[in-house]
This record gives sequence, C-alpha cells and structure tokens, in this order.
Amino acid sequence: MTPTLGLIGLPLITSPLVYFAGRVNRRHAAWSRGLALLSLLIAWVFFAQAAQDFSLNGTLETTIGMIVLRIDGISLLLTAVVLTLATVVTIYSARYMAGEMGEEKYYALLIAMSGAMIGLACAADLFNLWVWFELMTIASFLLVAFYCQRRTALEAGVKYLVQSAIGSVLVLLGIALIFAQTGTLRLDELALAGESLALLGAGALFVIGFGVKIALVPLHTWLPDAHTQAPSGISAMLSGVVIETGLIALLRVVGALAGIAESWGVLLLAFGAINMLFGNLMALRQKQVKRLLAFSSLSHVGYMLLGFGIAFYAGEINGAAGGFFHLLTHGLMKGLAFLAAGALLYGLHLAHERHDPLTVGDLAGAARRYPLAALTLSLAVLGLGGLPPLAGFMSKWQIFAAGFQTQDTLVMLLVIFAALNSVLSLAYYAPLVNRMYRDHPSNVVQQGKPIPFSMQVSLIVLAVMVLAIGLLPSLVNWLTEPAGASLMMVLGR
Amino acid sequence: MTETLLLIGILALFGVGLYGMMILHNFIKLVIALQILTKTAVLAFVIAGEMNGQIQLGQSLALTVIVADTMVAVVGLALAVQVRRHFGTLDIRALSTLKR
Repeated sequence: MTPTLGLIGLPLITSPLVYFAGRVNRRHAAWSRGLALLSLLIAWVFFAQAAQDFSLNGTLETTIGMIVLRIDGISLLLTAVVLTLATVVTIYSARYMAGEMGEEKYYALLIAMSGAMIGLACAADLFNLWVWFELMTIASFLLVAFYCQRRTALEAGVKYLVQSAIGSVLVLLGIALIFAQTGTLRLDELALAGESLALLGAGALFVIGFGVKIALVPLHTWLPDAHTQAPSGISAMLSGVVIETGLIALLRVVGALAGIAESWGVLLLAFGAINMLFGNLMALRQKQVKRLLAFSSLSHVGYMLLGFGIAFYAGEINGAAGGFFHLLTHGLMKGLAFLAAGALLYGLHLAHERHDPLTVGDLAGAARRYPLAALTLSLAVLGLGGLPPLAGFMSKWQIFAAGFQTQDTLVMLLVIFAALNSVLSLAYYAPLVNRMYRDHPSNVVQQGKPIPFSMQVSLIVLAVMVLAIGLLPSLVNWLTEPAGASLMMVLGR
Repeated sequence: MTETLLLIGILALFGVGLYGMMILHNFIKLVIALQILTKTAVLAFVIAGEMNGQIQLGQSLALTVIVADTMVAVVGLALAVQVRRHFGTLDIRALSTLKR
C-alpha cells in the first residue's frame, strides 16, 4: 500500500469500526477511543514514510482509476497539522467527553473528518477536491451540533449547515462552469486554460463558496457560534485546521486559475486586511473566552491571507512559506488555546454538571488553582498576539519580512497595518493573562474541580511545540519551505 | 437552442432556490429550498458534459453530487427533528439566542 492511500484510507476505514466498537461495548467508549488513537498513530507511520519519499523523489502521485491523488509540499504540511491536532484532541477528549451521549460517534466522526481533510490536501482535480471538502463539512456539522440536547448547539448547527451548504452549491456551480468551458477538471491542466469570462466567474464563485468555510469577513457569521458551541476538542479542530483546509482548497483552485487574471493577489490582500481588522475589533468586545478565541481566528486567517496575497501579488516565495508557517503555528497555538480554555471550562463548570459558558470573569485568579492550564492558555494567547519568543512571533515575522522584500508600497502599507493589528490584538489577549495571574480567585475558581491527567498531557505536548518552534523556527522548515515552493510552482513563478 | 433553454432553466431554478432560502422561515422548507439549489448544480454538470462531449463523465459527477447532497439533507432533517423537540417549533426565527 502506498503511503498516500494509507494516510487517507486508514482513518476513513477505521471510522465505522470505531463506531461499532463503541456499540459493542456500551458501558464505556474506551474501545472506540483506543481504536481511534491507534489508527491515528498508524497514520503517523504512513506520514513519516510519505515525508521520506517526498524528500527523496519530490511529488508523489497515486492513481486509482481516473482519480489522481498527489502529495506535494502543501499536502504534507496540512497532513502534519491535521494529524497533530487530531491525535492531541483524541487524547484530550478521553476525559472531557467521558460519559457523553453518543461518545463513540464523536471519535468516529473526528477521524472521518481528519481523513477527509488529508484527502482534500492530496486531491489533484477540482471535483475530487469538492468531494473531500463536502465530506469534511458533513462530519463537522454533526460535531458542531454534538450536544444535540442543548438549544444553543442546535442553533449553531443550523446556522453552520445552511451557510456551508449554500457555499458548497456555489463551489459546485463554479466547477460545472469550468467543466463546460474547458472540458477538464485536473488542476494542472486548468492552469493552461486561456483567459475567459466564464473562468473568471467560476473563480468568483469559488471565492464566495470556499470563503464561507474560511470565514472571509462578510461570510463569517456561522463561525463564532459554531466554535463556541462545539465540544472544546472540536473547537480546537475547527479553528486549528478546518478553516485552514478551506483556505488550502481556495489556494489550490485560485492557484490553478492564476493565469487568467492578475488581480487574485489584490483580492486576497483585501480580504486579509478586512479579516484582520474586523476579527480584532469583534474580539475586543467579547465576554466569553471561547467566543473571543473564535473571533481572533478571523484575524489570523487575515495574516495567512496577507502572506499568500504577497505570494500571488508579488511572486515572493517567502510570503507563501510565511503563510504556510503561520497556518501551522496558528493551528498549534489556537488548538492549545481552545484546549486550555476547555480544560478550565471542564474544571469550573462541566465537572459540576453545569453548562454555562466560560467567561473572562470566571478566569480571575485561575493561575493559583490551575497553574498548568493558566500557563498554557497564557502561552497560547501571547503566542497568538505575536510576542517573542513564541511560535506566533516567528510566523508573523516571516510574513512581514516577505512584505518588505517586495518593496511594493501597497504591500508595505498592508504589512504595517498588520503589525498594528497585532498590537491591537494584545488588547484582548493581555487582559486574559492579567486576570488569571493577578486577580484574587473568584468563587467559581475556588469551587473548581481538578483537571484530569490526560487533558494536562495534551496541553503540555502542544505548549512544548509552541515554545520549541518559537525558539527554533528552523525546526519546521522541512514542512513550510516545500509548501511555499509547491504554491509558487502552481503559480508558475 | 436546447442548451440555451436549459441554461435559462438552471438560472431560473437557482433563483427559485436562493429566493426560497431568503424568505422561508420553516426549517424543513429551507432544506427543500436547499435541495432545489443543489439540483441546479446537478443539472449544470449534465449539461456541461453534453456541451463538451463527455456526457458520461458529466452524468457520473452529477450522481456523486446527488449522493453527497442527500447526506446534507439527511443531516439537515435530523437537525430539524431535534430543533422541533427542543424549541417546540420549526421557525428559525426562534433560533436567535446566541449573540450576533
């Protein structure tokens, strides 16, 4: 079996088995959990094999009938982020989800979603890309509305379903337009197609359709609700990889259509700027921790778009590599932030069988009772804010440096704007840290229950990664540089 | 000629679906409108295949879309059942407890 097939097939085949394992042994979901973890660990072996093959031979292609699956730098990077977060979230959820109704479905859907995201990363034709995208979306609908006895989760699920479904119809119409016009769906053949109005229209449909998933600003309204109402592990997955997977899908199609118009770069830069500012301003006024983090995802998508926009607009490879670097560090940091916030939510509310949201006020003095969760949450949010020596600083730095390398006035102005936004974001990150460390413990904190060991392990793993990448950013060069090079190759620069 | 007519049909169907999505308040009716919207894409694939002489490919893509789209409809209706159970109504205007 080739590593590509293993990486995609294994999670998808294991998914129903995980479900049945949970149904056989109804008392507890340990079998489901174990099986899910096992399949992810085996997927890591395939990943190592794929990474090795890629470093030796370059792009790997596997063909099944007419379907071509291709592993290039971008696929490898996204797969690494998906597998890291899925593994950590599976360990984390062992106690967080214990005893919830339908726990076995949670693990089955989690690894099906991971498999779909890896598939999307490897898709080499438009229609395949859509099929994986839709599979990922359907799994995520069910995970967002997982607490289906709660009104708020249902509301978030309905909003998410309706908006995503319309987005995916628009993507489909775009694909049909391209198919009618060019007669091919392969992304590499599409790059050779000439300029035409139909292809431009298709590109616009893709920007709107995938834009719903990426949460480009006017299309973002599902995101804060879905990220807040989903179980914390799923919030980490949604914010850390699902929206980024949408971004990769958009980059793949827009990259293939790059020949037909020169303005894609400007479009990406413009959406980037709007996302940064709007995300930060909305996050400033949030009282709930998870909602705050959800809005900050909007601004971080903005930084990634800035990096990719620089690559499209000025052909600067460091912009692409920086965008991918930020995609990776944001996945780790936002994953850590949501998991740490989830751990506090668990200790303060869920362990008492309360379903209240975690507010910023609840965090008062949390560092005394929960030193580890408070430390990791602080590391995550300060990293997101871009303080050195954490991972977020390094990835933003690479994007900003790429911006100045272009020596283009528009890009340099945007970089300054992004840097100012980064400072603005500290206005809502810093008070969180301040509250946890300097306030007196609130009543809620004093009555809080301890955080289970499995959650602490997953927090430590991610926190170590965030610190390590911050101190030694070259550790992930083997992932980000090939990814940047792959994007530039698609763009033909 | 037939193709032009069909293209106009697709646009009309798309309009009906989108208009339905905008004005309807009943969640089940919304799922139906969504189905109409997706059917435009199904039709578009078949016509696209016909236009460039790859009708089989167009049809098989359309079939795949139908399968995926059914899954979305099923999830949507399952959500509708839960919404009716917990809100006592299918009116989506009742689903606005979360802050914007």
